Amino acid sequence: MKSVEKIINDIEALRPIPYTYHKIIEMTKNPDSSINELVDIITYDQGATANILRACNSSYFGLSRKITSIKHAIAYMGLDRLVNLIIVDSAASNFRRGQEGYDLTEGELWRYSVFSALIAQSLAEKNQQKNIPFIFTSALLKDIGKVILHTYVNDSFNEITFMVKEKGLAFIEAEKEVIGIDHAELGAKVAAKWNFSPNMVNIIKNHHFPELAPPDDLSIPIVYLADSICMMMGIGVGSDGLAYRYHQEVMDKLHFSNIDVQKTIADSLEKLKDVETLVNSTGGN
Amino acid sequence: MEIIIGVADMKVSNDSEAVLITYSLGSCIGLGIYDSIEKVGGLLHYMLPESSLDTVKAKNNPCMFADTGIPLLFKEAYKLGAKKHSIKTIVVGGSQILDQKGFFNIGERNFTALRKMFWRNNMMISYQHVGGNVNRTIKLEIKSGQAWLKISGSGYQRI
Repeated sequence: MKSVEKIINDIEALRPIPYTYHKIIEMTKNPDSSINELVDIITYDQGATANILRACNSSYFGLSRKITSIKHAIAYMGLDRLVNLIIVDSAASNFRRGQEGYDLTEGELWRYSVFSALIAQSLAEKNQQKNIPFIFTSALLKDIGKVILHTYVNDSFNEITFMVKEKGLAFIEAEKEVIGIDHAELGAKVAAKWNFSPNMVNIIKNHHFPELAPPDDLSIPIVYLADSICMMMGIGVGSDGLAYRYHQEVMDKLHFSNIDVQKTIADSLEKLKDVETLVNSTGGN
Repeated sequence: MEIIIGVADMKVSNDSEAVLITYSLGSCIGLGIYDSIEKVGGLLHYMLPESSLDTVKAKNNPCMFADTGIPLLFKEAYKLGAKKHSIKTIVVGGSQILDQKGFFNIGERNFTALRKMFWRNNMMISYQHVGGNVNRTIKLEIKSGQAWLKISGSGYQRI
């Protein structure tokens, strides 16, 4: 077994979400925050402002006028779209590289993450959730642990796949068994290190274990379901494939039928264009 | 020349330089067909079993569903000269999440839809690699009909 402490130390090699972005993400959770407060926070940080304006003006958005201020950006794109763009932009650099251990080439995990965040967002809207940008962000960052763990998965790949194929373990259970920590647990440690709220840390930690969600919580079931739908769609899925467990209680909690699953899959095809827009117009260097 | 077939998409070709490829089949199905006499091939990547789920979407994009995509694939191959009796078929994909208790069984339903259509039309499956919980990629070379399967986590294998 690899030293888990050594793996956790690798978190230092990631690029933390800058403070301004972090504050924006946390602010969107608070219904009392005003647009003006948001604009003030962004404009205070010249680097963040420049990045956001660059992304807004990228050809992918096809806006007819050049966006010159954050206020303009909100007026033209709408607050939700802008917040999504800001969040995606802030996290991109960590996700873009390939993750050999999961057999994912450059950009694949990132596409998967953005796709799953967009599906989580639409499930959250359908379930009248108030904290939609928060759920979007949690879904986007939930696999950040894979960015670190993939080298260790690579070293122990045969052992892990043996556990999955021969012993019937889910891939994440095999990660824990062989390496001593799984990608969700590691991702939660990253989120905690970056000072995300305990709620988000909890979503990331339990995104494959929705049975551990508090009874009145829908955010973990939503992130779990969005993840499952992405796996079925196959966009950016790696060597872990679909080897994760099904949880009926999620479907009961969200009142989701098999037909709803199929309809969400059919609707998600259109979201693939949004994935390309977000991936291509955001940073990463 | 590699021609990529996206999700809910298909291509047919008689160009000897063409290699058709579709990546990352989860519960979706990749159906490859090939007529070795006419050297015509096609590849379809469909997502869901039945078009009755959303007839508007099916009209706009027949390749989304088995029951609208599969006939279209064959029709387009016939237009390039392929003959039903000399067509070989390859079916891959249809994976499922573990213990899904019939709920996330889109992969199985996708494969069942194909088998029903094949049975009604006296079409055989020449090669299949379906089910389980792996992620697959399929590649078909038009000049030879040679196909390769890749399961994520391992390299391409000839089939």
